[in-house]
Amino acid sequence: MSAELLRPRTPVAVLGTLAEFHREPIPYNLKTLVRLVTDLNPDLLCLDITRDQWRRRDFEELPPEYREALLPLADQTDIVVVPIGGEQPAQEPTAAGWKGRVIAGLRSWLAYLQRTSPGPAAINQGVRHHVADTLYSTINVLAGRIAQQARKAHTSHLIQQVVEVAHRDPGCRILVVVNVRYCHLIRPALKKYPEIEVVPYTDL
Amino acid sequence: MAALSTTRLIILASATLYREAWCALLSSQPYIRLVGASHDVAGIGTFLVPSQPTAILIDLPAASPHMAYELRAATSDCGLLFLVESYNLTEIVALLQAGATGCISRDDSMSDLTRAIIAVGRGEIVLPTTIAGQVLSSLANAARALAALTNSQPASDNLVEGLSERETHILSLLGQGLTNKDIAQTLIISVRTVEAHLRSIYDKLGVRSRTEAALWAAKYGYTEQPTSESKTRDR
Repeated sequence: MSAELLRPRTPVAVLGTLAEFHREPIPYNLKTLVRLVTDLNPDLLCLDITRDQWRRRDFEELPPEYREALLPLADQTDIVVVPIGGEQPAQEPTAAGWKGRVIAGLRSWLAYLQRTSPGPAAINQGVRHHVADTLYSTINVLAGRIAQQARKAHTSHLIQQVVEVAHRDPGCRILVVVNVRYCHLIRPALKKYPEIEVVPYTDL
Repeated sequence: MAALSTTRLIILASATLYREAWCALLSSQPYIRLVGASHDVAGIGTFLVPSQPTAILIDLPAASPHMAYELRAATSDCGLLFLVESYNLTEIVALLQAGATGCISRDDSMSDLTRAIIAVGRGEIVLPTTIAGQVLSSLANAARALAALTNSQPASDNLVEGLSERETHILSLLGQGLTNKDIAQTLIISVRTVEAHLRSIYDKLGVRSRTEAALWAAKYGYTEQPTSESKTRDR
């Protein structure tokens, strides 16, 4: 039997959030998210924050899901945080003129989705999940080629970081919590790696 | 979904108000299960369950070695975490020699406290990294402490050649007094993986416990300081 076959596969679950709207009120209690992740009890928690933010423990600009729920939880437990963001925090796509106005309109729809989410699981399933993904994809198209390249580069970086950590610690249980816009890209990309087993977050 | 491992916690605090405050504060913490509180050592016994790892948080006006001796005798393999006013080297060494497994200052944060409870609950020594090296060196140099903590002779120097690079690194972090979680966060690997490495290290050094390995590391100088990055991350 080859060494590759003997190597344990690393289960990875990807949980989406609408975390960018950190100035929008979150209707559900963040304790729900804490409870969800506590129950999943991952070994490693990959978050879209830069190494510099992590090193300086500078969480001021992070969304409340990270700042008020996941980071304090990891601090108090055995869950190890893996900062998988790039050198700089990802920038929101913008555009001038009518495209900019349409983007603002679409973002208000995304904010509405967050405002009306009954819980952290809601954005990961059903219509709400697909609507959010479609809105983000549309925004990305409207924002132009540079924004698309930036998003692609950021997504590739996130994927690469998850793959690296899976290689470093094969067999450990990894939960990736990122903005929902990356979920549809990260999951299929990770599935291409035979040593990684992408699972629904409920099965982690 | 993985089975959740929770740490059983008992509070020992002489003042009723403090006892109730600790219960209120810690009963809702993830991975911690508060099983009881007592105002004296005798009352602890009713909450103990054989072979179930338990942490005891001790909040007394004066944390004395005598109390640590008494608790150790009464609680055998429980983790004893003492709240101290400040990190005084002499006081901490005396407590550890008497059977304490960790100390935490009243100035530390809630996160530090909960992590310390979880760590002592599974048998780890919890010390502030600023003085951990000194504490362990003091313990390693004290024959009486060694005799009390180990029944076997530490492995000889050349056995360290059998350690892998990763194991040597983990041993040095252990020698600095880092908990398993701190080591895991520094190396960005899981706590379970750190535990597996530690088991391998114990085998190779011929020691039987984390305490012996930490003392071995302190005795043989495996206490390199963490990088500024890991210090910031793992305060």
